[in-house]
Amino acid sequence: MAEIRIENVTKVFGDHVAVDRANLVIEDQEFLVLLGPSGCGKTTLLRSIAGLGMADAGRIMIGDRDVTYMRPGERKISMVFQSYAIFPHMTVRENIGFGLKMNGAPDGEIKKNVDEAAELLHIEQLLDRRPSDMSGGQRQRVAVARALAMKAEVLLMDEPLSNLDALLRLEMRAELKRLLREVEATTIYVTHDQIEALSMGDRIAVMKDGVIQQVDDPSTVYAEPTNRFVGSFIGNPPMNFLDGVVHRVDGAVSVGIGGNEITPAAALANAVAAYDGKPITVGIRAENMRALETETEGAVPVRVEVAEPLGSQNLLTVSIGDNRLKVSTHPTFPAEAGDTLWIQFPPEQIRWIDPQTEKVLTGGVVAA
Amino acid sequence: MEELEPTTKRRRNLTPYLLISPALLFLAAFFAYPMFQGLILAVYDDEAVLPLLAEPSLSGERVGEVPPGTRVTIFAQQGNQLDGEITADLLTEQWFFVTGDDPDGAAVEGWAPETRVRVRDEAADGTPLGGTIRPKLGENADPLTPLRGEPSERADVVAELDERAPVAIGEIAVLEVWFDVEAVTDDGTVTAGWAPSRFVRAFESGEEGVVDRGTDGQFTSRFIEKMLDDRFFGPAWRTTLLLMVIIIPLQFALAIIMALVIHARPKGTSGFLYVFSLPMGMSDLAVGILFFSIFTSSGLLNSVLDAFGLIGDTPPTYLGADTRNWIIAAIVLAELWRATSIVMVIVVSGLQAIPDETLEAAELFGASYWQRVRYIILPLLKPSLQVALILRTILAFQVFAVVIALGGGEIVTVLANETYRQYFELRDNNVASAYAVFILLLSLASSIFYLRAVRTENEGAAS
Repeated sequence: MAEIRIENVTKVFGDHVAVDRANLVIEDQEFLVLLGPSGCGKTTLLRSIAGLGMADAGRIMIGDRDVTYMRPGERKISMVFQSYAIFPHMTVRENIGFGLKMNGAPDGEIKKNVDEAAELLHIEQLLDRRPSDMSGGQRQRVAVARALAMKAEVLLMDEPLSNLDALLRLEMRAELKRLLREVEATTIYVTHDQIEALSMGDRIAVMKDGVIQQVDDPSTVYAEPTNRFVGSFIGNPPMNFLDGVVHRVDGAVSVGIGGNEITPAAALANAVAAYDGKPITVGIRAENMRALETETEGAVPVRVEVAEPLGSQNLLTVSIGDNRLKVSTHPTFPAEAGDTLWIQFPPEQIRWIDPQTEKVLTGGVVAA
Repeated sequence: MEELEPTTKRRRNLTPYLLISPALLFLAAFFAYPMFQGLILAVYDDEAVLPLLAEPSLSGERVGEVPPGTRVTIFAQQGNQLDGEITADLLTEQWFFVTGDDPDGAAVEGWAPETRVRVRDEAADGTPLGGTIRPKLGENADPLTPLRGEPSERADVVAELDERAPVAIGEIAVLEVWFDVEAVTDDGTVTAGWAPSRFVRAFESGEEGVVDRGTDGQFTSRFIEKMLDDRFFGPAWRTTLLLMVIIIPLQFALAIIMALVIHARPKGTSGFLYVFSLPMGMSDLAVGILFFSIFTSSGLLNSVLDAFGLIGDTPPTYLGADTRNWIIAAIVLAELWRATSIVMVIVVSGLQAIPDETLEAAELFGASYWQRVRYIILPLLKPSLQVALILRTILAFQVFAVVIALGGGEIVTVLANETYRQYFELRDNNVASAYAVFILLLSLASSIFYLRAVRTENEGAAS
C-alpha cells in the first residue's frame, strides 16, 4: 500500500511562497498529474515529496510512513528527472541498475530487474552502450527504465516528455500511459502540458501560484472547472469568457451580453439571481456552442472576425459586443470573415463565474 | 599571366589564415625558435672537432678530425700567401716588404713579419707606409732582425736590420700559417693532416701542441653524459621525484576535500573559496621565505614551542645541514600551502559542471554521500583531475624557489636548481640546457602518461 498523503505542505524560498498549504491524497497505484504553468510550484511540491527540498511546514505520508524529513534515499521512491539525469560515465545497464546496487541488492536480482525494465522500454539492445551516443528519446527510455527497475511503490516524474520533440512526445505519451498501467506504482506526474495531463492522468491536480486549484478526473476538470483559471488553462482553445450583467426580465433571471439575453439553466437560476444588477462572467467552451447560418429563436447574432480551418474543425473567432470568443464548428460549416451568423448557448454548458472571486458558481450554496 | 579566376570556381577564404598568422609568427619567434635553440645546446657542440686536411689550404681534402684538447705532434708549418681574400677562420699574419739601412749603412730590402715592425707612418686610409724595427726583449736576445727573400720564416735571410732602424714599408703580404700535425686520439687512432694554426696552440718547443678548439659542429652526448655524471644530478632528480610523490597525492586529497566543502555550500562558508585560493596570489619565493621564517631556529615554530615551554635552552634546528628530512618536510608543507588552491579551483570548476539533477538522482536512488563521491562525482571529475594532474606534475618538475628558500640548494637540491647552477655558477650553457631538456622530457612523458592512463570513459563517443 502506498497511498500518498500531503498535508498542509508549505515551501518558501525567501519571500516567495512556492507551495502554499497544499493538501492532496493520492490513492494507491493512482496516476495523478500535477498540472500548472511554469513557476506555479508543481515541481517544488514534487521535490518536497522526493525529499530533494524539504517542506518548510506540513506533513508528507507514504503509506503509513511519515517521510517529511527523511532523506530521499530512504523514502523508497524513484523518479524520472526532466533532464533525465542519466549518469554519463556508466553504461545503460549500470545506469538502470544503479539504484538497486546502492540499496545493496544481490547481483542476480539487479540483472533480472534491469533486463525486465529494459524489455519494458524496448532498450535491450542498448544495455552495453553509453548514454553519450544516444538520442534524446533513447535517454528518456533509459531514465524511465532506471526508475522502474527500482520497483518502488512511488514513482515521481518531473516533466519527463518536455525535452522531446513533438512527434516523439506523442509516441512516448501513449507508451508511458501503457507502461504505468502495467507497473503497480503510485505515480505523480508533473507537467505544464494540459493535453498530457488530460490524456494520461487518472486525476489531475491543477496548481497556480503555489495553491492547488482543483483535483478531479480529467473530464471533470475539463468540463466543470472550479474557477476561471482552470477553465482558461485547460483545453485548446481555452474556455471563452464573456462579460454579462444579471437582471430580471418579467420576473425571470436573464443575463445581458452585448445587447442579447441569455437565460441560465434552472438549476443555477437562483445562484445567478443573487447577482441581480451586477456583472457576471459567462464561461463556455468553443465546442459547446452551436453555430447556425440563419436567425433562430434564442440564438445570438455574431460577426465572424477570423475563420481558421484546422482540418478536423473550423475555429471561428467571433465578436459579441466587446467580447471575442472562439467557436468550433464542423469543417463543412460555411463561414468567412465578415459573415454574420447565429450562435446558440446551451444553458447547461454555461459556467457562471463570479468576476471578483473568479470562482465558478455551483447550484447549492451562494458565496456571500 | 594575370587571368581572373572564373567566378564559378570556389574562392579560398584566406581571412582565417591571415588572422592567425601573427599568432603563428609569435609562436615561431618566441617559442619554437628559442626552444629549438635550447634543445640544440644540449646535444650539439658547435666546436666539437677540428678537421685535418690533406693540404695546408681550406680547399684541401679532409683526412681526419680531432676533438679539442687533443695533443698533437707538429711536423712542419707553412705560411701560405693569401690571394687577397681573408677567410675568417684562418690565422693570418702580415709581412711587410721593407727597405732600410743595415748596421753597416748599406741599403737593404726584404720581408719582415708585421710583429717586428713598429708602424709610425700611415696613409690616410690606414695603410702603413713606414716605421722602425722593434727592439727585441731579453738580455741575450740578438738585436738584429732578419729580412727574408720571401714572406716566410723558412725563407733565406737576405739582410739584417738593427733595432730601431727606420724602414719604409712597401708591399704587404698576408700569410696564413698552417701546421702539419699528427694526433693520437683516445682510442689509439692516429690522424695526421694540416690544420690552421689558429686552432692549434703550439708549445714552446714548436714540435708539440694541443688542439685549442674545433671549428666543426657535431651532435654529441657529451653534455648529457656530463650532466649524468654530475654529482648533484642523482640527488637532484631523486629529491624532485620524492617531493612529487609526497606532495601530489596529499595535494589532490586536500583539494578534492576543499572543493567538496565549497560545493556543498554549508552555511557560513561562502568565503571559503576566497580563503582557500588566497595562496595563489603569492609568489613561490615569498612562500618559501614565509615558511623559512616559520622553521628557522629563531622562527615562529620555535617561538610557539618556547612559549609553551616545550623546548629547552637550545632551540632545535630544522633547516640545518644535518636535518635534511626536516627541510623536505618544510618544503612539502610550503608547497601544499602554496599550490593546493590551483588544483582546488580546477576541481571546483569541474564540480560545478556536474548537473545538480545528476547528483540528486544519485541521492534519490539511495546513494550515500560517500557512494555519490565514489560512483558519480569522482568519475565525472576525471577530466578536471586529469588537467590538474598534468599541470601539477609539470609544476612539480619545476619546483625551485621554495627549495632554494628553505634548503639553500646544497643540502636539498632539485633539477631546476641544477639548471640554474650550471648556467649561472658554472657557466656551462650546454649542461644547463641538458638539465632543462631533461625536465622537459619528464614533463612530456608524464603528460602523455596521464592522458593515456586517466582517459575519460566516454571519450570519442561525445561527438
